Amino acid sequence: MPAFQPTADQFRAFRDDPHDGPVAQVNLLKFKDMAIYQQGEPEHGDGSTGFKAYLRYAEAFEKMMEDVDGKCVFKAPAERFFIGDGDWDMVWINHFPDRKAFIATLNHPNYKDAARHREAGLLHQDLVVTRPDDLGVST
Amino acid sequence: MSAIQPTPEQLEAFLTRDMTQPIAMLNLLKFKDKATYPEGTPEAGENLSGMEAYMRYGAGLPPIFETIGARLLYNGPVQSFMIGEGDYDAAALVRYPSREAFLSMTASEAYQAIHHHRDAGLAHQLLIETLPMD
Repeated sequence: MPAFQPTADQFRAFRDDPHDGPVAQVNLLKFKDMAIYQQGEPEHGDGSTGFKAYLRYAEAFEKMMEDVDGKCVFKAPAERFFIGDGDWDMVWINHFPDRKAFIATLNHPNYKDAARHREAGLLHQDLVVTRPDDLGVST
Repeated sequence: MSAIQPTPEQLEAFLTRDMTQPIAMLNLLKFKDKATYPEGTPEAGENLSGMEAYMRYGAGLPPIFETIGARLLYNGPVQSFMIGEGDYDAAALVRYPSREAFLSMTASEAYQAIHHHRDAGLAHQLLIETLPMD
């Protein structure tokens, strides 16, 4: 089942994982058809799709993660499932030097303003934590 | 729900698309605890794990990728689901220069020669077709 946020247990498990090396966060994303901005937000009523709103978040997130040497490995619209089934609109993979760097991005001073766009655009997601093998990570 | 192979409908949907378009395929893989090689095959007595069997399949892919111009963009073992739920052992992302290249790979002799390792090691998977923006 996809969700919107980590549960408290999921967040603790990530934070307390003894693994000390790089992580790559694989996001499987499903967007709202139309973005839902709250009244009073500048984008309220601007007719943005959920996809467009989320891309505003992704762009801001990618800027913030540069501060901790995080980098986007891959971001692309999902076309369909060739094996298995599911319903995702986009795949987004980000590489971080370690778990602390990812958490630091969530605590970045600009995160809260960026997260408005995530709230507005995202319906739900899976976030799969992986450990990059040296092979294949484009640097 | 994950599976082993595309359904006929999934294959047909793939074939109706622009075959020259580049695609990137995201694999989320779940391995068998124990590899299941058919009796009588050389590997049957080796007592391999499913992951070890699948890694033999993976080890045979780079020369095939090179032939068709495909590129491994990312791979790594799955640690956990931080949002949502699922049960996978590894993720792998491969970019193909075209849908045609992907199909030609699966039909090639070199690919067929390593495919029994995938059969022996893979429990099930998701394979998500994406459209790279580069």
